[in-house]
Amino acid sequence: MQRKSQPKKQASQGSRRRKILPAVFVLLSLLLMVLPLESPVASVKALLSYIFIPQIRAAHAAVEYAEGVSAAVRDLLDTHRENERLREEMDRLQLENAQAKEVFAENELLRAALGWQPPRIWGGVWAKTAYREPTQWNSVVIDKGAQEGVSERAAAIALKDGQPVLAGVVVETDDHTSKVLLVRDEDFSAAVSSSVSQEDGLLVGAGAAPLKMLYLPLLSEIAEGERVYTSASSSIFPAGILVGEVLEVEEEHPSSTSLTARVEPAADASAVRELFILTPKTAGDKK
Amino acid sequence: MTTTLKLFLLFLAATVLHWAFMTVLGEVGLSVNVMLVFACAVCAYLKPQYGYPAAFVCGLFLDFFGVKLFGNNAFTFTLCAMAIYALEKRLDFDAPVPQMISLWGLGLFATLFNLLLLKVFANFSAWMGFWPLLGGVTLNAVLAPAVFWAVRRAFAREIKA
Repeated sequence: MQRKSQPKKQASQGSRRRKILPAVFVLLSLLLMVLPLESPVASVKALLSYIFIPQIRAAHAAVEYAEGVSAAVRDLLDTHRENERLREEMDRLQLENAQAKEVFAENELLRAALGWQPPRIWGGVWAKTAYREPTQWNSVVIDKGAQEGVSERAAAIALKDGQPVLAGVVVETDDHTSKVLLVRDEDFSAAVSSSVSQEDGLLVGAGAAPLKMLYLPLLSEIAEGERVYTSASSSIFPAGILVGEVLEVEEEHPSSTSLTARVEPAADASAVRELFILTPKTAGDKK
Repeated sequence: MTTTLKLFLLFLAATVLHWAFMTVLGEVGLSVNVMLVFACAVCAYLKPQYGYPAAFVCGLFLDFFGVKLFGNNAFTFTLCAMAIYALEKRLDFDAPVPQMISLWGLGLFATLFNLLLLKVFANFSAWMGFWPLLGGVTLNAVLAPAVFWAVRRAFAREIKA
């Protein structure tokens, strides 16, 4: 009698577990979703970072190593040709550098004569994209964090055809990793100005659609094809970084008080592999 | 204890694989969800006391990278684990075809459900188009037999017991 009741007991325990376990995890995940992202969830994330961050770094290193093997072979084959090219480039740059030094010295003198403030010089660190969820093109994880000098709200810059372009802004930092919100994200915003008409506006992300440049004056002469750069009025981004190109200026609505321009971002979210994260320093910090 | 340790080591391997696929295929806009395939494989072969926590942790791992919402992948993965346990008597998870079909369906469900959760809870639309979605889901299905084989191999003793 006892022998018969034992398997039954085990079976009922198993079926109870089958019901209770998913219910517990469903409730737990619902709770995590409903709670605000700031305080309680941030604590859970901080706790998880102790488990996941070393793993992320190990995974990233393994992938980089695997990628590096083929790249190293290719590099070896190209080294001689590249060496020649770099020598020529170096000679040219040395000449340019000498000229630039003269111009800088002259500039300093003129600045002193006019009593102008020294400009802000921006330094930074290069970081590689460690993780990107293709279905969520709005953010990437980079392999540099607070220990390397990356701070929240720092500008992230990508290179496109050798030209620096605005890619996003750092929103979360850990010791050795950070999250960068890309320009297309709806939460992204930056003060920008157009290159020709010199109109200032607020640039905001619009998901998969082109970016929006808001609050342009109704009589603005901003035109299609104009380049858009970060504005000097921005407190986060240094002025003069290319953001994108005006695709169209939205038609005036009878009740609207400003114009909106659609801007195609210069940085391609899906192709971002390396980012330069800016760390502010003044001219006095020269090393 | 041995099962938990093996599960942890396989989880580490799955994260590396997930990373590698994301790095390589992310550039062409394809998303292979190795963590989902791994969680489903664990649920297909191990008891619920291992399957559900594994699915939940795999989901949390993906949630860790999000900036909009936290817990959506954990929720979706738990639902997928429930689906695998509901299907285990109807489907033979030792054969590649049921593995691929179930992963194709669950991959599609997981992606769409995640998009829905992001829209509802974070008012955020992450829709990237029909073809990237189908491509990623199909790659999940293609990858499934290899991941299922690895999990079955690692837990051969537990499955027999």
